[in-house]
Amino acid sequence: MNNTKRIVILGLMVALALVLSIIESWFPVPLPVPGVKLGLANIITITVIIFYDFKDAVSVVFIRCILASIFGGGVTGFLFSISGGILSTVVMYLLYKRGSKLFSTIGISIAGAVLHNIAQIVIASIIMKDTAVYFILPVLLISGLIMGFFVGLCSGFLEKAIRNTKIFD
Amino acid sequence: MNMNMLKKGDFLIIGIVMVAVVFSFVYISHYRKADNGAHKVAIIKVKDKVVKSIDLDTVTEPQRIEISGEYNQVVLVENGRIRFVEAECPDKVCVNTGWLSDKGDMAVCIPNSAMIKIEGQSQKVDAVTH
Repeated sequence: MNNTKRIVILGLMVALALVLSIIESWFPVPLPVPGVKLGLANIITITVIIFYDFKDAVSVVFIRCILASIFGGGVTGFLFSISGGILSTVVMYLLYKRGSKLFSTIGISIAGAVLHNIAQIVIASIIMKDTAVYFILPVLLISGLIMGFFVGLCSGFLEKAIRNTKIFD
Repeated sequence: MNMNMLKKGDFLIIGIVMVAVVFSFVYISHYRKADNGAHKVAIIKVKDKVVKSIDLDTVTEPQRIEISGEYNQVVLVENGRIRFVEAECPDKVCVNTGWLSDKGDMAVCIPNSAMIKIEGQSQKVDAVTH
């Protein structure tokens, strides 16, 4: 693929991920638990994983986390989102590349969402030096399951739509 | 919703997550109980020395404990609660205090320099101001 085209599209992906993050902040959170979120930006992450390689996926995640924390969220926000983001990206990439026959985007997304939340709790417990944060683990796991399902579903639809447009052929 | 999108491996992942949810839930509620429900321990002190320490939660049958001193007293211990039940002191304030059952509760017999206290932070407030 033309390198310029790749750079442009990846840049677009970063922008889309940021927009999705902003939009999801408009939605009321079902539970007042820190860390419960839609994770819509992961739709982008999964899409990049599908159509590009690992380097690109990590770059997109990394850059969007930096920009997101600059726009609002601060350094701790960055720490939280990058830890969850990188871990979930790595695992989602592995699951997709090795097991796209076994796992649909839904399963991959659920795995990514759950791990993302787990990583965030771990970071939180390190920062607060308190293991009490683990009390919200069950809630976060369930939230990851549900949100991951939704995000995975969207990713699946998006993948089909993108393949139809043949941008990447 | 398109159910033929789900593949075999997805159910495996979902299953693992659900198991993790159950496990973490069980583990956490067990841990919480051990923390919040730590046993009530009553101590009996005479002249500022701990004479007896009793885990109220493990008491199966009522026990009577005799305390000697300037004025003899009898302490009654039951599951989860304790009190002075008899005392030779003139005022009987200690006996009139009644049952002690919560953490932080205490009864004192000043003439005999004896007291019973249930250890722990009292979870009731004495006063609230705004």
